[in-house]
Amino acid sequence: MTFAKTGLSRRAFIQGTTAVIGAAAFGAHRAAASVPAPIGDLPKGVTFRWIDSGDQKAVFYKKFFADYAKDRGIEVVYDALPWNEIAQVVPLGVRNNSAHDVFALPQNVNPADAVAQGWVQPYDDFIPDIATWKASFPAGAFLPGINEFDGKTYGLPFTSNKRYGTHLLYNKAYMTEAGYDPEAKPLNWTEFRDAAKKITEAGKGRYFGFIIGGNQLGRWSQTVRNMGRMAGASAGGDSVIEADIDFRTGDYVFDSDAYIAAIELLIAMQADGSVFPGIMSMNAPQARAYMPQGAAGMILQRPWNIGGWEGQNPEFDFGVSSGPVPDEGPVGKLTIGQGALAPNTMWLFKGSELGPIAGDIFHYLGTVEGQTAWANIVGAGDPPIFPEALEGAEMSYRSKAILQHFNEAIRVGPNPVVGNSELGKVIGAFQAPEVNFARTVQGLVAGELKGVAQEMKGLKDRYNAALDAAFAKAKADGAAVDRSDLVFSNWNPNEDFGAADY
Amino acid sequence: MFETLHRYRYHYLMLLPGLILGGMFVFYPIFAACYYAMHDWSGFNSDKVFVGMGNFVKLFTDPIFWDAFQRALIFLLGTVPLQMTISLVLAVLLNNQLLKMSTYFRTMIFLPVVTPVAVIGIIWTFLLSPFNGPVNGLLLDLGLISRPVDFLGSTDTVMPSVIGVYVWKWLGITMIYWLAALQTVPDDVYDSAKLDRCRGAKLVWYIVLPIVLPFAVAITLISAVGALNVFPLIMSMTNGGPFFASEVMEIFIYRTAFATGDGSIPRLGYAAAAGVFFGFVVLSLTIGQAIATRRARAGAKEIRS
Repeated sequence: MTFAKTGLSRRAFIQGTTAVIGAAAFGAHRAAASVPAPIGDLPKGVTFRWIDSGDQKAVFYKKFFADYAKDRGIEVVYDALPWNEIAQVVPLGVRNNSAHDVFALPQNVNPADAVAQGWVQPYDDFIPDIATWKASFPAGAFLPGINEFDGKTYGLPFTSNKRYGTHLLYNKAYMTEAGYDPEAKPLNWTEFRDAAKKITEAGKGRYFGFIIGGNQLGRWSQTVRNMGRMAGASAGGDSVIEADIDFRTGDYVFDSDAYIAAIELLIAMQADGSVFPGIMSMNAPQARAYMPQGAAGMILQRPWNIGGWEGQNPEFDFGVSSGPVPDEGPVGKLTIGQGALAPNTMWLFKGSELGPIAGDIFHYLGTVEGQTAWANIVGAGDPPIFPEALEGAEMSYRSKAILQHFNEAIRVGPNPVVGNSELGKVIGAFQAPEVNFARTVQGLVAGELKGVAQEMKGLKDRYNAALDAAFAKAKADGAAVDRSDLVFSNWNPNEDFGAADY
Repeated sequence: MFETLHRYRYHYLMLLPGLILGGMFVFYPIFAACYYAMHDWSGFNSDKVFVGMGNFVKLFTDPIFWDAFQRALIFLLGTVPLQMTISLVLAVLLNNQLLKMSTYFRTMIFLPVVTPVAVIGIIWTFLLSPFNGPVNGLLLDLGLISRPVDFLGSTDTVMPSVIGVYVWKWLGITMIYWLAALQTVPDDVYDSAKLDRCRGAKLVWYIVLPIVLPFAVAITLISAVGALNVFPLIMSMTNGGPFFASEVMEIFIYRTAFATGDGSIPRLGYAAAAGVFFGFVVLSLTIGQAIATRRARAGAKEIRS
C-alpha cells in the first residue's frame, strides 16, 4: 500500500460528509404528501415532541411535521438522535416525566419492560375504530408480547423488517475496470476479495477496494453474521437473546465454519492491503462519505445510502447488489424476526397528554396514503410495512432492485417472544459478555486477537454462560421460561415461519 | 450557640446559596453514586437490587476494568512528565520580556487550550489519517516511513498518538502556570545570582527551580488530575478502540453505564462502583497534592531566606 495524493481533500471530505448528513436532514428531493384531515378533535397551540434515530426517516419527518404543525396549529419538535444518545435521553426523560410524547425505545429496553415499568401507554382510545385500522396492516404486524399487551395496542409498527444492513454498494467504474458486474451476478467470496484487490491495485494508493466503518462495532458483527448466514450458518433472530442462535438446536453458531470463514476472509483482505487505511478509527457515516468521493470501491452497508447518494451525489455512478455469496453451494437465507422493524416502532409516552395528536399521526402512518408518502421519500432505507405502498411508490431503479433482492434473500424466522412472552424477562436480564461478538471480530481483524476458531469457540462459551445466567435470573424472578423456548425444530431457514408454525 | 448563630446570621445566610448549589451539584451526585454503587441496577427500571459491596468485589476481579485502570495510569505517566518539561522550557524562554514576539508565541501556544476538545479531536483524526492525512504525508515526504501509519487504528500507536494530542492541547495552560510561578522569583534573587556569576542553566537549576518547586508540585498534581479526565478527547478520537486499546477509566465507566453497544442492558450500578473507585483515586492525588505543596513551600522559604 502506498500513500498518494488523491482528489479527496479535507474540504471535499467535509463537504461529502455534510452532504450525507444533509441528505438525512434536509434532502427531501421529493415532496411529502399533503397533510390528511384530522381524525378527531385535536388540541391547538401545544408543543408535540417526537424522537427517533433519524437517518432517512428524518427526511420524511422534517417536511411532514412542518406541514402538519402548520395545518393543525401546533408546534412539533422532531429530534433525530443516534441510538447511544436515545439510550440516555429517553430513560432520563421518562424518569423526570419530561420524555418526548412519542419515542423510539432504546435498543436495550424491551417492550414488555417498557409497559411493565409504566414508560408507555396504549393508543387504542386515540384512534377511532382501531380494530379496522389494525386489520389493514399485513399479518404479523401486531403481535402480543411485541407491541400488544393485555389486549391493548402500544407500539406503532409502520416499517418493514425486510431489509439487511450489509448489502453491497459499489463504484461502477472501478468495478467494471476490475472485470466484475455484481448487478448481473452477485460476487462470491473469492470474487469479492479479488475485486477488492484489483480495485486497490488500479487505485495506486488513490483509492482502495473495500471500506468499512470499523470503529462502529456493530458493523463487524452484522457483516460476519450476514455473510455467515448466506454461507449456510442458520442463525436467526433480531433480539439480543436470539441473534446468532440456530433455532433448530437453540445453540449459538459463532464457531460455525461459515462464521469463521467470513472472519478469515476479512482478515485476508486486510492482509492483501485492499482495505481502506484507517478503518479502525472510522465510523459508518464517515466510511459512507468516502464512497461518493471515489476513495473506495465497495462497502457493505444499509439501503439508506441509496437515497442519500442519489439525492446529494447525483454524479456518483454506483451499483447495488446482494452481499457476497458463498463460492459454492446454495445461498443461505437471512432471517428476520416476525413483526415490524423493532427499532422503528414508535411508542406513546405514558406521561404524554397529547395522545390525540399521536393517534392522529399514527393513524396517518398506518394508511396506504401515509405509507406511500413514506415510501416516496424514505424509499428502500426503511421500507413501509404495506406492500401496496411499495408498489405505488416512486423509487429509483436501485431502490427497487434492492427491495426485490430483500424479498429474495430474507425470510421471516420464529420470534421466541411470540411463542413465550415471558422471554421478555430474559431479554431484560441478558448481559452480553464484555468482549462480545462485535469486539471479538474487531480484535481479530485488528490483529489484537489471534486464532479465529479458538476465539470464536471462547466467544460461544461466554455467550452460552451469559444466556444461562439470564434464564436463571428470569426464572428466579418468577418467569416460566426455559432455553428450550429458543428451539423451533420445525424451522426451515429457507421459508417464512408463520403464525401456524409455533 | 444560638447567640453565636444569631450574631452571625447574615454570614450564614450568605453561605446558603453556595451550600445549596454545592449540595445539588457536588454532594448529592457523590452520595447518589455511592448509593447506586451498592445496587445491581440497569438505570432503566425500578428494579434496584441491593448488593452491598458486590459491585466492588466484581470490579476488582474484572480484568477489563484493571486494563482500563492501567491505561489511565499509562496515560497519566505519558502525558504529565512531557507536559511539565516542555511547558517549563517554553515558560523559561518566554519569561524573558526582551525576547521578541514572546506575547505572540504565548498566545499561539495557548490557543489550543481555548479550542473545544471535540473540535481538537476531530481535526486530529483528519491530520493523523493514514489516507491523505498531512502527518503521514510529511513523514512519507521526509522518507521517515515507507507506508502510512494508522496512528489511531493500530493498537500499538493509538495511545502514543492520543497522548501526543493531549500534551499539545494542554501545553499552554501548564506554561501559563509556570510563567506565573517564574514571576514570583524576586528580581533581587536574579541580581544576587548575577553578582555571583551564576547564569543560564545554572541559574535555572540552582536558583529558580528550588524557588518554584512548590508550584511545580501543585502544577504536577493539577496536570495529573487533568490527565485522568480525558473523556471527550478519547471519545472524539477513538471511542476507546481499537479493541479497548485506548479505553481508559472514564470510557470504561461510560460504556458500562450507557453504551453497551450490543443491545444488552447497561450496568449503572457497576459503573457507579467504578466511578466511586476512580473518585477515590483522584481524591488521593488531591490529598497528595496538598501535603506535597505544604512541604515544598517550607523548603522554598528556606532558600528565599
